[in-house]
Amino acid sequence: MASTSTSSHEDITFKQGTIQRLLQKNFKEEKTKINKDALVLIVELSRIFVNEGACRSAQQAKSEQAMVVEPRHLEKVLPQLLLDF
Amino acid sequence: MGEEENVEDLAYTQRLKAAVHFTTGQICEELGVELDVTFSRQFISALAETTFKQMENFAGDLEAFSQHAKRSTINPEDVKLLTRRSRDLNAHIGTLCARQIAENDAVKEKKKGKSKRKAKPVVELETSEDAE
Repeated sequence: MASTSTSSHEDITFKQGTIQRLLQKNFKEEKTKINKDALVLIVELSRIFVNEGACRSAQQAKSEQAMVVEPRHLEKVLPQLLLDF
Repeated sequence: MGEEENVEDLAYTQRLKAAVHFTTGQICEELGVELDVTFSRQFISALAETTFKQMENFAGDLEAFSQHAKRSTINPEDVKLLTRRSRDLNAHIGTLCARQIAENDAVKEKKKGKSKRKAKPVVELETSEDAE
């Protein structure tokens, strides 16, 4: 499995355990639980969030003829990114 | 004792943050090859931090949605509601959700099939992903 570099980038995603613990930590009520199907969707949502953030920043960097994407590029796309999620 | 708990809590948060940072880095690396750009380390840290904070928002929203529906378990409907702001995102999550329901139904039918023979065609949603 280690050398499947050509596989689609959708394979790289957050671990369900990470997302679950992260959410659980931020719940106000301790008894709040997450359905398994819902967790799968939240993992996908998080992956899309990171992907979008990186893609939009890369686009911003390219429009400025920069080859390296830096935090200032993220700063420019951040407002719209947060409005979309 | 209170302080010790605080330190432990902080370490736990740091571990979670590290996990988010790691995956963010992986996604960026993969994307960088595809788009032919380099993501600086500072950028990845900033994006990971943003994602971490955004997850806190998600948690609060999801909990509020499920409570409003008088539930204590977050289900896929809550996640759909969370993505209401972006039409494409909502459609994508909706498709995934429909696929999950179809899969769950298929499993149920299989279990039921032994006692009751009632084959129901399961809608295949595979084709939509291939287009990407």
